Amino acid sequence: MRAIRVRETFLGGILGVLALALAAASPAGADETCNSPYMGNLIKGQEDYLYVWALGVKSMGDGADKLVTIDVNPASSRYGKVIHKVSVRGRGEAHHMGFTDDRRFLWAGGLDNSRISIFDVGTDPARPKLVQTIADMPAKTGYVGPHTFYAMPGRMLVQGLSNAKDGGGVTGMALYSNKGELIATYPMPATGGGDGYGYDIAINPQKNALLTSSFTGRKNYMRNLGELVKDAEAMKRFGNTMAVWDLKAMKPKKVLSVPGAPLEIRWSLKDGDTWAITATALTSKLWLIKPDASGEWQAKEVAVIDDPTKIPLPVDISINKDGTGLWVNTFMDGKTRYFDLSNPEQPRQTYERVTGKQVNMISQSWDGTRVYIASSLLANWDKAGADDEQFVRGFHWDGKELKPAFEVDFYKEKLGRAHHMKLGSKAMKSAYGLERTATLR
Amino acid sequence: MGSSAPRRSADPRFGRIITVLAAVAALATAAGTGPGVAHEPDDRLPASVTMDFVPPPPGSYALHAIMRAPDGPVLDRDGRSRPLSRFTSGKITLLGFIYTSCADPRGCPLTSQVFHTVRHRVSEDPELRERVRLVSLSFDPARDTPAVMRHYAAGVPRNGVEWAFLTTELPRTLVPLLDGFGQDVRVELDARGRPAGPLAHVLKVFLIDERAVVREIYTTSYLFTEVILNDIKTLRLEDKMPRRAAP
Repeated sequence: MRAIRVRETFLGGILGVLALALAAASPAGADETCNSPYMGNLIKGQEDYLYVWALGVKSMGDGADKLVTIDVNPASSRYGKVIHKVSVRGRGEAHHMGFTDDRRFLWAGGLDNSRISIFDVGTDPARPKLVQTIADMPAKTGYVGPHTFYAMPGRMLVQGLSNAKDGGGVTGMALYSNKGELIATYPMPATGGGDGYGYDIAINPQKNALLTSSFTGRKNYMRNLGELVKDAEAMKRFGNTMAVWDLKAMKPKKVLSVPGAPLEIRWSLKDGDTWAITATALTSKLWLIKPDASGEWQAKEVAVIDDPTKIPLPVDISINKDGTGLWVNTFMDGKTRYFDLSNPEQPRQTYERVTGKQVNMISQSWDGTRVYIASSLLANWDKAGADDEQFVRGFHWDGKELKPAFEVDFYKEKLGRAHHMKLGSKAMKSAYGLERTATLR
Repeated sequence: MGSSAPRRSADPRFGRIITVLAAVAALATAAGTGPGVAHEPDDRLPASVTMDFVPPPPGSYALHAIMRAPDGPVLDRDGRSRPLSRFTSGKITLLGFIYTSCADPRGCPLTSQVFHTVRHRVSEDPELRERVRLVSLSFDPARDTPAVMRHYAAGVPRNGVEWAFLTTELPRTLVPLLDGFGQDVRVELDARGRPAGPLAHVLKVFLIDERAVVREIYTTSYLFTEVILNDIKTLRLEDKMPRRAAP
């Protein structure tokens, strides 16, 4: 395995800024343009539903984590309204979700309790149903904090954030069958420049390449942020690497130095493109990952996001379908920014708008004209007081301006903190919903 | 595992496939197109993706046991009822679901094209020729009768490598197989909820070892002949080593 030495000194310089920030952020990722390439049935027209994986808040409603369904079809009389919700057991730091390859089931993870909830979204896309819970991931794999759920043919690849032994950032991936049976585990590279950390997964089948990024362990992400940023030793324990894996062999090939917690990874979907992009949360940069002229994978810093010394904290990103534009949410200043990626070697910010007092997740429709934004990062990292807005906001994007379309106030609706979003469609129901079973048995 | 799986009868996956097959039957009645033929590879068919890498060599990686292949009655092209396990054990098997009227070049025809190529390459390898089989199983039992499957198979030249063309008698015998493999089938509906289009499915091809355990699943994004051949050779190398427990 090839390796590059990792720089480790950048964190010291930002500790002071973070300490002053009072609140900060972590990560997340989703939307129609960032699904697994193995997924069928992409929604390329008007989506009907927005599934939101929400963190429960004590004494708010039933206090449990829940999957919330919002009607997002402008032609519907219920447009912008919550039409369904299904709670799971307790609060477990609801975070990310991912569809199975056939889009019939939606897997959703809890970073605190390490439970994986599997919802049936194929039988009735308007009314997801909890059909299975995987509760033994820590016992079976040694990994905790199931974060990214990435569809593979007949299987789900799950990236852990931490481990059951010490709650640090050394972790791995777990491969499950679509029926929820554990198939294999893959530790993140911890030698040859690797830090053993994990965060996101992104696959390019044509290049036989799997990319992973890195964040931090449970002891950090479950800690109060104000305390965390004052702990210099703890702040050293963030990921500084990405890894390129041989997808077929599921073996790490090369560790790339990408300092400052590289989070979401997005491959360009344009035919012929072989590059991916990521944003580093703590150093506020965009990095390009692509093979050089000799075919060797390289990571290259290509842009700064705002003023990194102010720690705007870039979190979720969303690439458009042809790889020419990238949305970047910065949590601290509540801004949604658009970068022109016409030249991915030199991204340029061309637009920004404050979309909330705190913003994390951003998802876009396949055609890019509809953009959805959610507010929450982590329960203990979200802002406090009046700045702790919890919402999902829908916007129209005409290429020049984000125009508000609807808003769901998650606190007012007693739903909790709005985190990851995935799109749904009635078309899934028309595929599976015929009522003729009796005539066939 | 310690998961709280629902009872079998409550599993929505099962009922859903049943209902889809009702639509399949209705479609077969309504549609007027005739069955296709498993013709020779057609270079005009668009490849779904380009393989831009050198796959790892056989034996340099593991193919995990994903699941046991399901079993149940199927009909061969002569109409004889056989257990599917007859076609998924004893040899390394490449199995794909098809329907003979499928016209999507990135669907069944792509599978057929890759099967032809793999079969040709296997036929040239004395080490593999007798140890590999291909299986095309229809998920359109209403239309794809044994006679139709026989017609569909007529274009396949003999080269010493087994290629079985199978169907099922009824949807209810097909459903457990689809469910067991995790193969979805969808049909578009019109505004009144009636079947109104071709069958749709996520293209999947299953690599099954000699003990009827699924070891790899390929889709349009990863249906590369060289990868499949290396996987077959990896299983052969494995067979020469001490055996592992089935799942």
